[in-house]
Amino acid sequence: MQDTGKNIIIAGVGGQGILLFSNLLSKYYMKLGYELKISDVIGLGQRGGGVESHFRYSNKPVLSPFIKSGDVDYLLSFEQTETLRYLHCLKDDGIVFTSTFELSTSSVNTRLEKDMPESKTELIKRSGKKTFIIDPEENKSPDFDISKMMNIVMLAIYAEFRGYPHEEMIEIVRESVPAKFIEGNIKAYEKGVEIARAFAL
Amino acid sequence: MNGNEAVARGAFEAGVKVASGFPGTPSTEVMDYTKYRYPDIYCEWSTNEKVGLEVAIGASFAGYRSFAVMKTVGLHVAADALGGAAGSQINGGLVLVVGDDVGRIAGDDYNDVRHYGNMFNIPVLEPSDSQEAKDLMIKAFEISEEYSTPVILKITSVICKTTSGVSIDESATYKVKIKQKYKVSFSKVIMTTMMMNAKGSEHPKLTKCFNDFPAHMRRLAEDCNNFDINKLELKGKKIGVITAGTPYFYTTEVLPDASILKVGMVMPLPEKLIRELAAHVEKLYVIEDGHDIMEKNIKDLGIAVIGKELFPKFPEMMRFTPDIIEEKLVPDAPKRTLMDGIPFRLPVSCAGCSHLFISQILRNHKIKAAADVTCGLIGCFPHMESYSLQKCMGSSIALAHGYNVATDHKENFVAMIGDGGFWATGINGLMNLIFNDSQSTTIIVDNSCLAMTGGQHIASSEFGFNYKPENKLEIAKVCEAIGVKDIVTVDAYEFENLEKAILNAVNSNTNSVVIVQKPCVTKFKLPKSDIYQIDQDLCTQCRKCINIGCLAIESKKGKDGKVEIVINEDLCVGCGLCSTACKFDAINS
Ligand SMILES: Cc1ncc(C[n+]2csc(CCOP(=O)(O)OP(=O)(O)O)c2C)c(N)n1
Ligand code: SF4
Ligand code: SF4
Ligand code: SF4
Repeated sequence: MQDTGKNIIIAGVGGQGILLFSNLLSKYYMKLGYELKISDVIGLGQRGGGVESHFRYSNKPVLSPFIKSGDVDYLLSFEQTETLRYLHCLKDDGIVFTSTFELSTSSVNTRLEKDMPESKTELIKRSGKKTFIIDPEENKSPDFDISKMMNIVMLAIYAEFRGYPHEEMIEIVRESVPAKFIEGNIKAYEKGVEIARAFAL
Repeated sequence: MNGNEAVARGAFEAGVKVASGFPGTPSTEVMDYTKYRYPDIYCEWSTNEKVGLEVAIGASFAGYRSFAVMKTVGLHVAADALGGAAGSQINGGLVLVVGDDVGRIAGDDYNDVRHYGNMFNIPVLEPSDSQEAKDLMIKAFEISEEYSTPVILKITSVICKTTSGVSIDESATYKVKIKQKYKVSFSKVIMTTMMMNAKGSEHPKLTKCFNDFPAHMRRLAEDCNNFDINKLELKGKKIGVITAGTPYFYTTEVLPDASILKVGMVMPLPEKLIRELAAHVEKLYVIEDGHDIMEKNIKDLGIAVIGKELFPKFPEMMRFTPDIIEEKLVPDAPKRTLMDGIPFRLPVSCAGCSHLFISQILRNHKIKAAADVTCGLIGCFPHMESYSLQKCMGSSIALAHGYNVATDHKENFVAMIGDGGFWATGINGLMNLIFNDSQSTTIIVDNSCLAMTGGQHIASSEFGFNYKPENKLEIAKVCEAIGVKDIVTVDAYEFENLEKAILNAVNSNTNSVVIVQKPCVTKFKLPKSDIYQIDQDLCTQCRKCINIGCLAIESKKGKDGKVEIVINEDLCVGCGLCSTACKFDAINS
C-alpha cells in the first residue's frame, strides 16, 4: 500500500542531536517527493531542557505544524521521562521507540518535586502501545560513543522498521556530517540495524 | 526553510541594503541567515534595539530598503524610535521584523507586538508558514514605500522554528532598490504642529514637511480588501472564523468545513471582507495567537464575534494548538490527557558556567543581589535562590542603586549584569549611580558574548560581523572613564580570588565594579580539565553540591533503587566548583 504520510514526534533533551535526526529524516522524505512540516520547539533554558520536534510528511500539503494529540503514528524518544510526556499523543495503534536513557530533572534533583515512584521503563511497557525499548548501556561499543550517537542508532532502527534502504540512509548521513565523524556515524548506524534485527522487526 | 531563513531570503529578494537589530529568541537567526547567505546586505548587531532601529531609519531615509530585527521585548526598548518613524515620510522601505514569543517558548513575558500597530497606527503583517514569511517580507517593503509608513512583520516562535517548503528562484540576483521621494522627514510632531493654525500653511517650505499619514492609513485600510494576502474562503454557513498566522492551519485542520477569512495583514483589517463573512455564517469566531487584538478591532467595527469568551487568553492559554480548537468547537472529539506526575524540567546552567561561581559566592555570604536578563538569571530559580530581584534587560545596576538609596546604603545590595546587558542599556545605570554619588557594587560577567541568545558578539568581543581589534571596547577602561572608583578584574575559576574580590567590593564604602572573566563555556567550547567524582562512601547526601546548579550533578536512582548523588562524566568539564561546596571532602578530581 502506498504511504500517504505519517505524523512523528521526536523527543529528548538538549544535546542529543535531535535536530540532526529530524534533518536527516527530512532529507530522505524530500527525496521521495513528500511535503513536510517540521516544528522544532525547544524548551526554555540551556542544556538539559526538553526538546520536542513535530515531524509531518504527507503526499498532500501539510497544514498544522503541530500534531494534534491522538494523531501521532510514531514517538521516537531519546529519554524516558520525555517518552512519558508524549505517550498520550499517540494514536491507539501508535508505536513507541524509546531509549531507556534518563536525565534526571533539576526539579527532582533539588527536591522541588518527587520523582515518579514506579520505574519509567515499566510505565512505558504498560502503556498498551507497541513499544521498542533500547538500552544504551547494553549496546555500548568501543567504536562510537552511544551516549552521543543515539540519534544515528535510532535512525537505523526506524529505517529497518519502515523497510527503508539502508544504503540510501547511510548516504544521507555521509552527505550531512563532517568528514571526521563519518566513520563513527556509520558504526552507530550498523549497530542500530543490529539492534533492530534482534527485535525481529 | 524555517521562518527565519525565509525572512532573510525575502530581504534578499526585496533588495534590502541594511539589516540591523539586537538578538532575541526566536528571531535572532534572521540576522545570521542574512549575513551568511546574502553578503551584499550590510549587517550589524547594534548595541541595543533602539540603536538598531535608528540605524535602519537612517538607511531608509537615504533611500535604501532596510530592516531591524528584534524580539517584542526589544521593541519596548526601541518604541520611542518607532514612534518617531511612524507617521513620518518614508523613502526606502522600512520594516521591523519582530519575534513574538507566542507560547512563551523562550520564557519571556507574553507580549504581543500588534499592540504597536494600534498604538502608532502602522500596519502589521503576520505569516502562517515559511512561504508566507518570505512573501510577506517582500510585501512589507512595498507597503512601506507605497503608504509611507514603517511596517511590522510579526513572526512567532512557531513560525521561526518550523521548517516547510518555500519556492525560490535560484537564479534570482541581488538588485538593490533605491527610492528617494522626500527631501526631509521629520517626526510627525513637528509637521502637525506646524500645520495647525499656521498662517500661510500653504507655503512650500511648510508643505514639504507635511505628511498626511492618517490619509495614507485610510487608503491602506480600503485597499487591503483587495490584497491577495487576505483570503476569504466561503464554505459552510454554520461556522465562520477570522484568523491569521499558524492558527489558520490549526483551524483548517480541525474545521475543514468552516468558512474562513485568513488575513495576512492583521492591521489594518479588511472591513469589507469581514462583513461579507459575517453575513455568510451563523456564528463568527476569531482565532488569533497572542492577545485579543483583532477581536477588539473587529468589535469596534460593530461586528459580533466570539473570541476570548470561548478561548481564554493569558495566562490560561499559552498558545493556540489544534487541540484547543477541537476541544471547544468539535463537541464529541475524544479527550487525551497527559500522564500524572511527570517531573518538570527547570532550566539549568551549563556545567562550568562562570555564573555558577558568582551565584555560589553570593549565596554562601548571604549577599543580597539583583540579576539581569542573562544566563545567570537561572540563579533566581528556587533551586538556587542567589538573587532576590530580576527585571528587564540592563536594569540590574539601577535597581540595586534604587534599593541602596532607599535603604541608606545599609544593606549593600549588589547588581550582577552580563557584558551584553551592560553595553545594551546597563551602562546608563552605572553612569547614573556615579554622578548621583552612590556606593553600589556591580558585578559584570565578561563572557565575551551574548550567551543566552546563542553567543552573538558585543562591543567587547574579539569577533563579530564588523570586528576590528582596534575597535574593541574594554569594559574596565570604560568603567574607569565613567568614574568608577574601585575596579577589579578576576578569573571566574579562581574561586578564592573571586570570593575576596566580591567581598572587598561589597564592604568598601565607594562605588565598585568586579569584572568576572571567563569565556562562555558553550559558545567557545573551552577544553575540559580532569573531571570530578563523588566518593559514595564519604557522601552524606546533604545535597549542597546540587544546589550550585551545575547540570552535571544528578541525584539518581541506581538499579538497586538506592538514590545516589553522582557527577555525569559526559557533562562535567572539571571546573571544580562543586568541590568547594562539599564539607565532607567527598568530591575530588
Ligand atoms: C530588551 C531585550 N532585548 C533582548 C533580549 C533577549 N536576550 C535575553 S538574554 C540576552 C543576552 C544576554 O547577554 P549578556 O548580558 O551578555 O549575558 P549572558 O547571557 O552572556 O550571561 C538577550 C539578548 C531581552 N530579553 N530583552
Ligand atoms: S551558555 Fe554560556 S553563559 Fe550560558 S549557561 Fe551556558 S556556559 Fe553559562
Ligand atoms: S555536597 Fe558532598 S556530601 Fe553533600 S551531597 Fe554533595 S558530595 Fe555528597
Ligand atoms: S567540576 Fe563539579 S561543578 Fe564543575 S562541571 Fe564538574 S560537576 Fe560541575
